[in-house]
Amino acid sequence: MAAKIRQPGWYRALAFSILGVLVCLGLSTGLRAAFSVDPVYDGTSVLQISLLMVPLFFLGGIGCFDYWLRWASGRTVVDDHADHGAKSWRDYFKVNTDHKVIGIQYICVSFFFMFIGGLMAMLVRAELASPGRQFVDPNTYNGVFSIHATLLIFLFVIPVFAGIANYVLPLMIGAPDMAFPRLNALSFWMLPVAGTMMLLSFLAPGGSFAAGWTAYAPLSVDAPIGQAFFTIAVQFAGASSIATALNFLVTIITMRAPGMTFFRMPLLVWANFSTSLLVVIATPFIAASQFMVLLDRALGFNFFNPANGGDILMYQHVFWFYSHPAVYIMLLPGFGIISEVLATRARKPVFGYRMMAFSLLAIVLLGFTVWAHHMFVSGMSDWIRIPMMITTAIIAIPTGIKIFSWVATLWRGVIKMDTPMLWAVGFISMFTLGGISGVMLAMVPLDIHVSDTYFIVAHIHYVLFGGSMFTIMAGIYFWFPKMTGRMYNERLGKIHFWLTFVFFNVTFAPMHLIGVQGMPRRVSDYADQFATWNMIISISSFILGFASLIFLYNMIVSWRSGPKAGSNPWNSLTIEWQVSSPPPIFNFDSIPSVVGGPYEYGVPGAVHAILDQPAETPVAAGVGAASEEN
Amino acid sequence: MEAASIPTPAAHEDHHHGPPTANQSSRVNSEVLGILLFIISEIMLFGAFFAAYFFIRVVNSDAWPPGDGLPVAVAAINAAILLSSSVTMHWTDVSAKRGNDMAMRVGIVTTFLLGCTFLFIQINEYLHLGFTPETSASASVFFGLTGLHGAHVVIGLLLLWMSAVRIFKGKVGPNNHRGLEVPGIYWHFVDAMWIVVFTTIYVL
Repeated sequence: MAAKIRQPGWYRALAFSILGVLVCLGLSTGLRAAFSVDPVYDGTSVLQISLLMVPLFFLGGIGCFDYWLRWASGRTVVDDHADHGAKSWRDYFKVNTDHKVIGIQYICVSFFFMFIGGLMAMLVRAELASPGRQFVDPNTYNGVFSIHATLLIFLFVIPVFAGIANYVLPLMIGAPDMAFPRLNALSFWMLPVAGTMMLLSFLAPGGSFAAGWTAYAPLSVDAPIGQAFFTIAVQFAGASSIATALNFLVTIITMRAPGMTFFRMPLLVWANFSTSLLVVIATPFIAASQFMVLLDRALGFNFFNPANGGDILMYQHVFWFYSHPAVYIMLLPGFGIISEVLATRARKPVFGYRMMAFSLLAIVLLGFTVWAHHMFVSGMSDWIRIPMMITTAIIAIPTGIKIFSWVATLWRGVIKMDTPMLWAVGFISMFTLGGISGVMLAMVPLDIHVSDTYFIVAHIHYVLFGGSMFTIMAGIYFWFPKMTGRMYNERLGKIHFWLTFVFFNVTFAPMHLIGVQGMPRRVSDYADQFATWNMIISISSFILGFASLIFLYNMIVSWRSGPKAGSNPWNSLTIEWQVSSPPPIFNFDSIPSVVGGPYEYGVPGAVHAILDQPAETPVAAGVGAASEEN
Repeated sequence: MEAASIPTPAAHEDHHHGPPTANQSSRVNSEVLGILLFIISEIMLFGAFFAAYFFIRVVNSDAWPPGDGLPVAVAAINAAILLSSSVTMHWTDVSAKRGNDMAMRVGIVTTFLLGCTFLFIQINEYLHLGFTPETSASASVFFGLTGLHGAHVVIGLLLLWMSAVRIFKGKVGPNNHRGLEVPGIYWHFVDAMWIVVFTTIYVL
């Protein structure tokens, strides 16, 4: 036991966490005694300090800091790659520096939180199935939809993209790993910490945080202690995001294989490059907004206290200066996935490759100029509305360039409508609808009319579910054979898609209608006139939830016993498909050389990269080819 | 996922146990690039607090300065102390690259002590201001910005401490100075940020 506590791992993490609570208790009471505050023991104070510090103790215990502390204490550190690569499933529960292991850790943890967040959505729909009170009281309802949104945004969409990119991006650019593997591990481990903290808020006295995922001040300042769980958990999720983005940027800039110029990079790499720029620049703003709320809550600062000269609108400005770019953080990596899937499955080069790359950068730039369109009814100065309306309409242009380029990529392609392709094509149509309602919302008069109605709920779900979620599904199905070495069940994949596609629309399309008619969002009750539509929406949403269970079943069973996939089941040109499935522990025996563009499909004899040894044996290739057709 | 550990079919026995060396596709060193990107993030964090400053002081025209005047002279002396620590930091860095062991040791200790002095004066100033963050929004902004900067001085000092430990254990030299250079860049950022904070809070 003592030996186990000395080794990095769960035992030590538990021991350190308990130690952390004790330290925070001592710190709180000690400081209060030193400044002679009465009473000396204050539960709220201990809890808030613990929320900030115990995660650090946990991370230390699990082993995120061991190497760095050895380095900082001036000892000679040798990296023997002992914590690189997974030899059994147990290694996925340890700190690991292998980008492939971290990628799978990211994906599994974020899907875990996706299912919990999805359950919250089911609960919301159960409550809204008919007017009046069904299952939960209004306060719990507020908590449920707040946690639904928070988990799906901060613990699912953002990190699952980081997970997919973690797995494939270093392979795609011909790098043996990420630039900072230990920082990568730390980024991952902060996520379960953040997610657990958000869920634990249900146990807090006064209930969970219930101010929505936007946590507007002064509501969030005056709310019960459950709100602090949000305020602090977001810091950890944000720090995780920033560290990963920094890691991606350094990896892409300094570790590309010879010949991999910027304009030979696959568009997924471009997409993550752009996203990472957004994260590094924008995410500190949400960190700051939550720091200010925390200071107001815990130490009596007056940032958002109008009685002492504070400014409530300032919260919204700072928050949306992050959270509008965050919309693109939640979409751009998906754009990259779609480009990969479409080119490979339509056997055509991506139409307008350079414009695709430049439009990503244009979205990054324009994304910073539109934040106040979330505040048209907030009472800010009227004149800001017009420029924000115009920039918001303009940002549809680079997005439109991408949509048209994808459609042109499909034009006269040899299209294989298998599961990843279905999700990709479904994405293009659904995201276009979400984009159009976005442009409608940019128009000040319409926005004022439908603010805080279900029209907004419909819009955000068309872009985040029909947009991000569809791209995530396309990516998961597309790279599943690479990550596991096995093929998923195509039939179940198609059933999953069609159920989701149909009932996604039945769920969210009517919300446009009832929204325009004035059904308010974030309220647990509504007028009787909306009863029929809400019942239809609720039933449809349960089928939508059921469809995700098919996905779960497909993934688990195929991972265990699916047919062997071979190294390159899609006949793709990009580098990650040229190594075995799953890839060797250090990716390559020697770094590949890149000799051409990534999407030269249909060009006879075109090669993207040359690897020293062909990683696949002829037998494996044969199995892959056989399992691909159906 | 047991298959993850299976090596490639190619002969692997005589191969070294480790990853192939990555291609260096940029002239910029990865650690230096990493800290520069992190500094961009940090600048944005300060930017958000400056946004609070802008809204409360400029848009809302709250009374400024909070309390009865800020000790500008003390803060100016403190700025001089912090800036001189940047000079000694640079000297430490240059000495490390030239292999001048003695100068490097004196340099890092001086830098560290100057940083501590800054922090000491800052805390002392806090205690004698006559207002607290609870007084008003302007006071919150004052403590928010200077406190955020103070926290960064603490982080910088921690990094310098690590460099100092490695220097005194003989781990830093002309061929191995990245562990000094990177904290040094961060320290320069902390100093430069103080000029901005000092100007907006005390001078303007």
